[in-house]
Amino acid sequence: MKHSINRSRRQFVSSSMVLGATAIFPWPALTQPKGEPFRLGALNSITGVGGPYGGAMLQAIRIAVDEVNAAGGAAGRPFVLYAEDDQTKPDAAVLAVKKLIEINRVQAVVGVWPSSVGLAIMPITNNADIIMMNTCGAPEMQIENKRGLAWMFQASNAVFGKAFAKIARQRGYKRPAVMAFNNSTFVGLANYFKQTWEADGGKVSELIIYEPNQTTYRTELNRALATKPDVVALGAYRPDATIILREWFQTGHDCKFIMPGWTANEDLVKALGKEATEGIISVSNVAAHDHEAYKSFATRFREKMKREPDVFAAQSYDMVITLALAIEAAGAQAGTLDINAKVKSVTSGGQKVSSFEQGRDVLRAGGDVDYEGASSSLNFGQYGETVPDFGVFEITDGKLVLKETVPGELA
Amino acid sequence: MDWIAILNAAINGVVLGTLLALPVLAITIVFGIARFPNAATGDYMTLGAYTAIAVQTFVSSSLVLGVLAACAVTALVSVGFYLWVFRALAQRSNISRLIASLGVAFVVRNTITFFAGQDQYNLDVPLVRAWNLNGVRILPTDLYILATAAIALVLVFYFLYATPMGRRMRAVADNADLAAASGIRSHRVMLCLWTLCGVFSGLGGVLLGIKAVVIPELGFELLMPMFAAVILGGIGHPVGAVVGTLLFSVSQEIASLYVEPSYKIVMAFGVLLVLLLVRPQGIFGRPMAAR
Repeated sequence: MKHSINRSRRQFVSSSMVLGATAIFPWPALTQPKGEPFRLGALNSITGVGGPYGGAMLQAIRIAVDEVNAAGGAAGRPFVLYAEDDQTKPDAAVLAVKKLIEINRVQAVVGVWPSSVGLAIMPITNNADIIMMNTCGAPEMQIENKRGLAWMFQASNAVFGKAFAKIARQRGYKRPAVMAFNNSTFVGLANYFKQTWEADGGKVSELIIYEPNQTTYRTELNRALATKPDVVALGAYRPDATIILREWFQTGHDCKFIMPGWTANEDLVKALGKEATEGIISVSNVAAHDHEAYKSFATRFREKMKREPDVFAAQSYDMVITLALAIEAAGAQAGTLDINAKVKSVTSGGQKVSSFEQGRDVLRAGGDVDYEGASSSLNFGQYGETVPDFGVFEITDGKLVLKETVPGELA
Repeated sequence: MDWIAILNAAINGVVLGTLLALPVLAITIVFGIARFPNAATGDYMTLGAYTAIAVQTFVSSSLVLGVLAACAVTALVSVGFYLWVFRALAQRSNISRLIASLGVAFVVRNTITFFAGQDQYNLDVPLVRAWNLNGVRILPTDLYILATAAIALVLVFYFLYATPMGRRMRAVADNADLAAASGIRSHRVMLCLWTLCGVFSGLGGVLLGIKAVVIPELGFELLMPMFAAVILGGIGHPVGAVVGTLLFSVSQEIASLYVEPSYKIVMAFGVLLVLLLVRPQGIFGRPMAAR
């Protein structure tokens, strides 16, 4: 009959499509141990202002996921990774995180970089009972973290602002001005700088919040320089910092800059040259270079990316390992909230471990673990915040020279 | 606020405005002749800046060569997209061409990031101090930028108003059917138009890259202010585009002396709003009556 031919052809087509689909399906996830896969979302700033960091953060997450899966998964549950780009924009991030939650049904989102994104998606992740691990520095992150599902792997900018002010005073500056990129991260930094400086006596000569994505900042800069500051605390990302510092150099005004280390680094020197960057004070959370976890992560990162990991990449790696240890501690059947409850306990008060496999073995033997991360020792405070140590560097002849390490203290 | 600060802000605004006048002119001419707002202009600028970077990296450190290559490559891409996309949509509504141009913008930007990545690049230009004339600061680099942009503007106005091809372009802009009836070959006019659009966007992009840093969003982020400047000057009017851009940039810079700098764009749009209330057709625009 005609019909049967048609049908068999249809069957052929449909069965070959199924076959094709199975070829695309992530089999590695299934060839590995039984347990139900843990769906992990990576929300990174691949494009936009965060572009210089986001790609490396995603690679760091992949490295950690591979480590966990190679060790047989967390509590036997392999990680399946779903990645999205938030474009460093809160509106795009909200769409992306909704997709991760509603379509990919992830149980945790890691790698969130800017505070604007962190603050925008927190209500959504909170409502969906989802763990959100981030590098956000806005002080509001801690206030909004009402359910304790958000974990800040980077120091709050309240801490940064305070540290900037203390360092400026220690170095004998008298008239600081502040310039900051208009987002929750840097406005927080600027305000805490001003607050700390003025609490210790003295005045901030000018505080300027500037609009992102401008071609020139000369008018803003002139406004700050008109007050004749001897030091400018500059809360900026690399693209805008490049423009501002170039324009500052062109004015010939004599003053120093204090900047966050994720901006004031060798890449900035490459963009501006040695002369314009000489003497910039760069303050950053330093990745824990002496930790075993850092060394082992850095080796794998170098292999993939052909360069040293920055602190955000190290933090992203730590997010996945911490999460995996928490799952291991909570057990294969645990829900998200139970897993979340274990985050603090696997990062403090136990046997110190530096990799997932090590930690898993201790946990299986019934011990307690304290994961010493690649980015810091990871001791979370009551609002989910960490306070990594600060390194105070000075750019000398194009190189970052470590002047001192200041232990982090809570704001 | 003393006059020196205002003068410095105004100078900064003039430099920025003259530079942006190039792509704004490209938008307005395309609007006048091809009859749609070309949202890909911003990314053509980005392409120009990246071309100059590529030339500096792989060929020679000469900036002049970079500028020429940028103009040439952007013009080729611009004509290419006309032949491939916009020509096919010539008979459709201008909305569909606007949306197609958004698509072109994405294609251009993502092709760039595919090869160049997300990280910033910088054009290799020697860093020099500004001349300080009693507090009024003038940058040699800015003078070069200003001169280049001004010469380009003079050339294009000469081309538009004193050459046969310019006359044809204006004829098509005025009334495409009448122009066709008088024997003007619109295909050639279109090729010329898109070449011009590419050259100006590319040149604007490189000059912008010298002042700022080269990132994938370089041009796209400027699209809104550029469209605003087009509206301010009167849509489709070349002189209006230049005046509109200057007015927009200068008011933006001076405003940031008086209000919080984060509101400077708001102030510039405030100027636009007030002006459109008084003169809805823009500074040089002709009032359009519906028949």
